[in-house]
Amino acid sequence: MKATNKINDRFDFAVFVPAILLLIIGLVAIYSSTVNHPTASGDFKKQVVTSIIALIIFGVAYSLPNRMYKSFVIPGFIISLFFLIVVLFFGKTVYGAKSWLSIGPIGFQPSEFGKIGLIFFLSYLLTSKRRNPNNVKDFSIILAYSMLPVLLVILEPDVGTAIVYIFIITIMLFWSGIDLFFVFVAVAPIAVLFSSFFGFAAFILLMIIVVALLFYFKKNIFVNMSIIIFNMATVYLFDFGFKFLKPHQQKRIETFINPMSDPLGAGYNIIQTQVAIGSGGIWGKGFLQGNQTQLRFIPKQWTDFIYCVIGEEFGFIGSTIVIILFMILLYRLLKIASQVNDRFGSLVVLGIFAFIATHFVINIGMNLGIAPVIGIPLPFLSYGGSSLFVNMFLLGVVLNYYKNRREHV
Amino acid sequence: MSDKVFGSPLRKKIIFSVLTIIFASFIFQLLKMQIIEQKSYEKRSINNSIKRKVINSPRGIFFDRNFSVLISNKPSYTVEITPAIYDTSKQKIIENILHEEPNYITKLLHKKRIYSKHLPRVIKRNVPLNEVVWFEEHEEEIPGVKISVEMQRDYSFGINGSHLFGYLREINAKQLRARKDIYNMGDFIGIKGIERIYEESLRGKNGYQYILVDSRRKTIGRYLEGENDKKPIKGNDLLLTIDYATQKVAEKKFAKHRGSLIAIEPSTGEILAFVSAPQFNLEDFASVTSRKAIVALSNDENKPLFNRASKSIYPPGSTYKMIAALAALEEGIITKDYSVNCKWGYQYGNRFFRCTHKHNWTNLISSIEESCNTYYYQLILEIGLDRWAKYGRMFGFGKKTNFDLENESPGIVPDTEYYNRVYGKNKWSKGTLLSLGIGQGELSVTTLQMAQYISLLANFGKTKTPHIVKAYLEGNQNKAITLTFDDVTVDIKKKNFDIIREGMYKVVNGKEGTADNIKLANIAIAGKTGTSQNPHGKDHALFIGFAPFDNPKIAIVVLVENVGFGSTYAAPIARDVIKTYLEQFDENNFTAFNN
Repeated sequence: MKATNKINDRFDFAVFVPAILLLIIGLVAIYSSTVNHPTASGDFKKQVVTSIIALIIFGVAYSLPNRMYKSFVIPGFIISLFFLIVVLFFGKTVYGAKSWLSIGPIGFQPSEFGKIGLIFFLSYLLTSKRRNPNNVKDFSIILAYSMLPVLLVILEPDVGTAIVYIFIITIMLFWSGIDLFFVFVAVAPIAVLFSSFFGFAAFILLMIIVVALLFYFKKNIFVNMSIIIFNMATVYLFDFGFKFLKPHQQKRIETFINPMSDPLGAGYNIIQTQVAIGSGGIWGKGFLQGNQTQLRFIPKQWTDFIYCVIGEEFGFIGSTIVIILFMILLYRLLKIASQVNDRFGSLVVLGIFAFIATHFVINIGMNLGIAPVIGIPLPFLSYGGSSLFVNMFLLGVVLNYYKNRREHV
Repeated sequence: MSDKVFGSPLRKKIIFSVLTIIFASFIFQLLKMQIIEQKSYEKRSINNSIKRKVINSPRGIFFDRNFSVLISNKPSYTVEITPAIYDTSKQKIIENILHEEPNYITKLLHKKRIYSKHLPRVIKRNVPLNEVVWFEEHEEEIPGVKISVEMQRDYSFGINGSHLFGYLREINAKQLRARKDIYNMGDFIGIKGIERIYEESLRGKNGYQYILVDSRRKTIGRYLEGENDKKPIKGNDLLLTIDYATQKVAEKKFAKHRGSLIAIEPSTGEILAFVSAPQFNLEDFASVTSRKAIVALSNDENKPLFNRASKSIYPPGSTYKMIAALAALEEGIITKDYSVNCKWGYQYGNRFFRCTHKHNWTNLISSIEESCNTYYYQLILEIGLDRWAKYGRMFGFGKKTNFDLENESPGIVPDTEYYNRVYGKNKWSKGTLLSLGIGQGELSVTTLQMAQYISLLANFGKTKTPHIVKAYLEGNQNKAITLTFDDVTVDIKKKNFDIIREGMYKVVNGKEGTADNIKLANIAIAGKTGTSQNPHGKDHALFIGFAPFDNPKIAIVVLVENVGFGSTYAAPIARDVIKTYLEQFDENNFTAFNN
């Protein structure tokens, strides 16, 4: 009894078990979508090997003395910036973004590893020297540093990853105690704009929420009016800015709003993905029985669209299990973030939470047709080495801090 | 604010709540998609990967009465474009390869823009093999363009028969809308002639194959091992009444003439040869670009598209004299010995009606043999207009014959009521009657009616509705189903027919016969020449006849437009056609005559 307690005290199974289950479900789905594929049939074996290596990385990250992380913050950040610059010159273009770097036989995406650098560095910035994010000068310094990797990723251009970075930064700033009103001012226009894609009614609803929150913050009438006008204006500013986007980016936004506008072109993935998930029904069509998957209606399904393999072949039950596993994992990460006494450690865990949550929400939202198509992988499930190594490493870090949660550094 | 602290419980609560709302909305969306709307997604998923491939049924072909092929099918290559996946950047090259003018494809695609852009459109049919090879070699570079093999009419069997067979056209949008369940875009449909009338029988039924395709539309295999597939049902082949050799000779004889010819088997109404000249080339209608050909043909002053054999009307001239003769005999007005003294014509009131010769005393038989007009000027006055008209109608004039290819004119047999209607009561003189007696004036007939008339004369007042199709051969079983046609009878005494037929025999075989130039040693032909006056230039030459005299196997009508005498131009054609038909029996087996 005591022994079990002791293990539970040092190792959080509520984080580890869901992650491993998601990894296994991911492998099953990768197998199903690649086994009959002419060029990708070897990907399942590769991913098994990747998973084993990822588990070792997890073990290492868990066992390292946790003080080491802090000492690696600055060199880690510099290395990740270095690779983000190198990739702009020597990178391989994949799906329109110069995001892939090959060193000998090994290829990886610097933007994936850059997330580690960002989380640690931002945690360091926000917790060392007693910087106060509500101080304008401190805030400007923090923002300037953290926007560096974002700008580099946008140059690739990989807007999807940049969005993930911004989400991580925003959530970490939020956790660090930044003024809620400030967060509100920053987030509300994005929410209003997003809602406007779903029609006029959704836009009005969001505006009502904005007004309600303004009552809560009890600011003066001038500030309130400015905020309301600015929020309404975002929609028009967006239309204006839209013209400056690249055609393929415009198309993505257009097809998100109305996939049927181009059913064989940019809207194709969205439609086919939804058809795959919807046609799965309650129980799914069965392992290897999904015609959308087996007949390869969704290109590169084992990467960003892995969730619709599960949706089609394992139905509502399988899809819901995946969401519940993420729920357990994310709630648990949030809890650990508040349990860890060390502020740096707490912020790192929260950053990891933000990272996994952002990937999860954007990826599943895209698969279900309620978020725009942003090509980012689903953590633990999607095929790919870089992403899984990073995920498992960060999970090792989380459990490491869990193990040492009572320490103050 | 009190909350501006690191990792405060409020902030944890906010994150927790936002996350929970997102989880809930995901589960809600899954419920909606996978349980509430599952059926519609499933349908789309099946439509996605299971394609119904139409397998066209081969169209029925045409046999002559002895199972010789008249028109068949041949495979041909067709270029199709599916606009949804078509890459226009290669258009110029494709147009060059197909030897079409620039923008040919743009125009065609524009014309068919109302169809779904995921459906392939036929761009060109009958593409030669060397061009097809190019398309196959460059398949990867020209998405949306594909080559398919279609069956097309094969007209290479030596018979033209343009008005007889008619032609096929690609079904247009309007026709397609009305018959969506049967036809698909790009299907052919019969427009004229047998192809139109027997469309339903010839068409057959398209089959379907359900195939599994992947996202690149590549075939993966059969769906449910072909359980739901439907085999195409072949169109019915038609066994025509046409005789290959007879038709061929008839067409050849009309190569340089305008006019019409119908040869018919008197006892059955089966049409052995059917020509309307000038003909047109059916091959011109086989391709998509047939519009130009049609416009050229419809502007041609010889009106090649017009079916002269069943649609064109003209006065029958002397060939109609037998009607007056039979009427007079049957009504007891005259006997065969009734004679008239012909002195170059007949004085009626202040007008002199001319005859071709001074025939002197002429009886009924020699009036036919020598075609004396004077005799009939007097005879029609004795019979009277309405009784004369009644006999004409008994022989099927003045109304449609119910010919199976339709598209015929009723012609005109004038009577009192007709003249009253046209000129007003009492505003026309009896003199108009005299022209009618020799088959001129308002009297108008079609070659088809004449064919029925000569059949009745040949076969003592008994025949069947003239027709082209004898039987059809059930598509998949090859069972012949014979069509039946109505009897056509004229109630006239045999002895009166005998008198008339004797006169007709003498036309060819008598000393003074008007068509003694076509007398044959081995075949006894009977007939009557005619010259039809018309306002468009020279007279039409006419000949009607039958043979052999004792047991008629073939009756014939020949009309050659604007050439002159019937004996000179029409009769020799009739002789050659009759000879061709009857001599076949000689060579093969004479017993064929008696079955």
